[in-house]
Amino acid sequence: MALLTLFAGPVNAGEYDFTIPEAEKNPYEFGGRLESRYIYHRLDGDSALYRLNYYQDDPGADTHEWRALAELSGSYSRGVFQANLLTHHEFVSTFEEDEWINDIYEGYVSLTPIPDLTLDAGKKRILWGKGYAWNPAGFLNRPKDPDDPALNLEGRTLLGIDLIKSFTTGHLANIGFTILLLPVIDDWANTELGDEGDLNTALKMYLLWHDTDLDFIYFDGPDQPRSFGFDFAKNLAENIEVHGELAYQQDVPHVVLDAEGNTRNTRQDQLGYLLGARYLNALDTTFIAEYYHNGSGYDRGEVEDFFNYQEAAFHQWQSTGDALVMQRATQITRPYYQQRHFGQDYFYLKISQKEPFDILYFNPWIAAVVNLQDFSFNLQPGMTWAPVTNVELNFRVGIPVGPASTDFGEKPDKFRPEIWARYYF
Amino acid sequence: MPRITAIMLSLIWMVFAPPGGFSGPLTGAQILEQVDQNLQPGDLEMYRKIINIEPDGRKKEFVLWFLKKDKDKVVTLFVSPASETGRATLRLGDNMWLYIPNVGKPIRITSMQSVVGGVFNNADIMRLDYSVEYNVADLAEDQDQYLLDLKAKSGAVAYDQLKMWVLKKELVPTLIECYAATGMLIKTLHFKEVKDIGDGVVRPAVMETDSPLYQGYQSIMISANLKKRSLADEVFTLNYLSRVKDLR
Repeated sequence: MALLTLFAGPVNAGEYDFTIPEAEKNPYEFGGRLESRYIYHRLDGDSALYRLNYYQDDPGADTHEWRALAELSGSYSRGVFQANLLTHHEFVSTFEEDEWINDIYEGYVSLTPIPDLTLDAGKKRILWGKGYAWNPAGFLNRPKDPDDPALNLEGRTLLGIDLIKSFTTGHLANIGFTILLLPVIDDWANTELGDEGDLNTALKMYLLWHDTDLDFIYFDGPDQPRSFGFDFAKNLAENIEVHGELAYQQDVPHVVLDAEGNTRNTRQDQLGYLLGARYLNALDTTFIAEYYHNGSGYDRGEVEDFFNYQEAAFHQWQSTGDALVMQRATQITRPYYQQRHFGQDYFYLKISQKEPFDILYFNPWIAAVVNLQDFSFNLQPGMTWAPVTNVELNFRVGIPVGPASTDFGEKPDKFRPEIWARYYF
Repeated sequence: MPRITAIMLSLIWMVFAPPGGFSGPLTGAQILEQVDQNLQPGDLEMYRKIINIEPDGRKKEFVLWFLKKDKDKVVTLFVSPASETGRATLRLGDNMWLYIPNVGKPIRITSMQSVVGGVFNNADIMRLDYSVEYNVADLAEDQDQYLLDLKAKSGAVAYDQLKMWVLKKELVPTLIECYAATGMLIKTLHFKEVKDIGDGVVRPAVMETDSPLYQGYQSIMISANLKKRSLADEVFTLNYLSRVKDLR
C-alpha cells in the first residue's frame, strides 16, 4: 500500500521539462521485476484429478498456494554485438511441498552485421503462431497462459539465423526467413526435444503480402514428428482483425485409454487448426473469439472412458488399499493431462473493457473456454490495474463448470481465485 | 533608369520578395505538405515524453524512442518506465503491430487503441504525415493563420475529419480538432513551444491534448533530441522489431 502513495504532486500542464535523461543510452542495461502471487484452491473432492493428486492425503476442503518470484534481466550492446540474460528465481509453497526454482530463461548473444541478417546463439524465447489462447502451429512454444500475457516464458537453446528483405513496390512488402538449430545436449539443453546428440531443425518464412501477415513453418527432429505449420493475421477493417493457424504433424505417437485401463498405442497424422477474430468497438470494448481443433485431442467417447477408468481405479484403491492402482493411473493418464486441453474442439471468448468509468490503467475482463464436445467450460473473470508507475495488480477467478466425466467438470478446483502484484525496476 | 534607382529596387526585391518569388498563393495541399515537412522532416529519430495527467493531478510518464522513414514507416520503442521497457510498435502504412517482450511475438493493433492509456491513441503516437492520410477539402484564412479542413482518404484513418489551424509564416499547426464520421469532436490537439528540437528542426515541441470523452484528463507529448537518421527498410519489419532496441 505504501507504493500506492508514491505519486507526484499536482502538475501545472504549462510547465514543461524538455530534458530526457533516458536519451543517454548505456551499453549496459539492468532491470527486472518482483512478483508476489496467492492462489486459493477450493477443492472438489469428487473430481478425477483431485483423487489422482490427493488419494493418499487429506488436504481438506481447500489449500493455499503462495509464490514469490524475482526475474532479473541484463543486456550489453556494442556495435553489431548484443548479449541478453534473463534469470528466473521463484519460491513456491503448496500443500504438497515448498520449493525453490532457479532457471536461466534466456541467455544468448546476437550479431547483426547488416540489418538484413542476425545470428543468434544461446537460450532464447520462441513464440510462433497468431492465436491468443492456443498455438497449434507453435511447435516449439512453451505452454502459455493466455490471460496473463506478461508472464515470461523459458527459452530454447538454439543457433539461429534471421534474414529480412523489404520491397518498396508490389504487394509483397517484406519477406523474412528464420532458421533454427536446436541441439539436445546432456541434461541441460533441450532435453524435452529428444535424446542426447539429437539435432532438431525449425524453419519459418514470414511474408507481409497484401497487408496480411503470413507464416510458413517447418519443424523436424530425430525424436519429433515432422511438422508443417501455417498462420495468418489481417485487419479486415480498422477495428476487426482475423487470424488463424494450421498444423499438420506426421506419425505422431497417440495413446488412448479405455475404461478398463488398457492403453492402445498408435501413430497417426494429426491436423490441428485455429480460427479467431478480434473486434474493438466504439466504447473501447475488445472481443476476442477463437475456435480450436486439437489434432491430438480425444473425442467424447474417449474422454468418458478416460474418466470412467479413473473412477474405477479410485474405487479399487478404496476397497483394497493398493496404492499401485493409483500409481499406475497417474502414469497412464499422463498423455492426457500433459496437454493443457485434451479435448478435440474448443471455443474461447474474452471480453475486456479499457478503463471503464474513466479509471485510468484499469482493465476488467471476462474469459471462457468451452469444450465443444461435452459443453463443460471454465469461466474466468479478472482485472488488471496499474495505479502507480511500475506497479501492476492482477486478480482473476477460475470457475470450472460441468457435470462428472467432462473436461472441466473433473478439474481439482471448484473455485480458484488468484491475486498477484508485480513491481518493475 | 538612373543606376542608383535600379540598385535600390534590386535591394528592395531581395529583402522583401518571398522565397521562390511571387509564384501565387499556396494551395491547401502545398500548405499541408509543408506542415508535414516542418513537423517530421524526412527520415529521423527523436525522443517523445508522454505525460498522462489525471483530474487529481497525478501523472504517469512514458518515454519513447521514435523512428520514422519515408512517409509511412514508423517504429516506437518504450524506454521508460521499467514496466514498459522493451515494448515496441511498428507502423507500415495502415498496418500496426505491438511487440511485448514477454509475449515474444508481435500482435496486430489498431490506431484507435492506446499502448499508453490516457487521451493519446496509437494514431497520435505513430502518426504518419497528414498528407498521406488526408485530403484538403477546404482552405480558409483566420487572421494570421490558415484553416485547413481535412478529410480522411480512407476508413482506416483514425479520425474522419480534421480542422487544422496553421501559422501562415512558420507553416506549423497551432490547433487541430479531430472529428469522427458522425461529426462528434473526439479530441483537440494544441501545439505549443515552437523551438529547435534538434538538428536545426524548428517546430512545436509540445502537443497537449484533451478530449470531451475524457473529461478532466489531459495528455502531453514533448518531442526532443531529434536527429536526422536514415535506416534500412529492413529495420521497419516485424522480424526486426524485437531487436530495434539495439539501434539506439
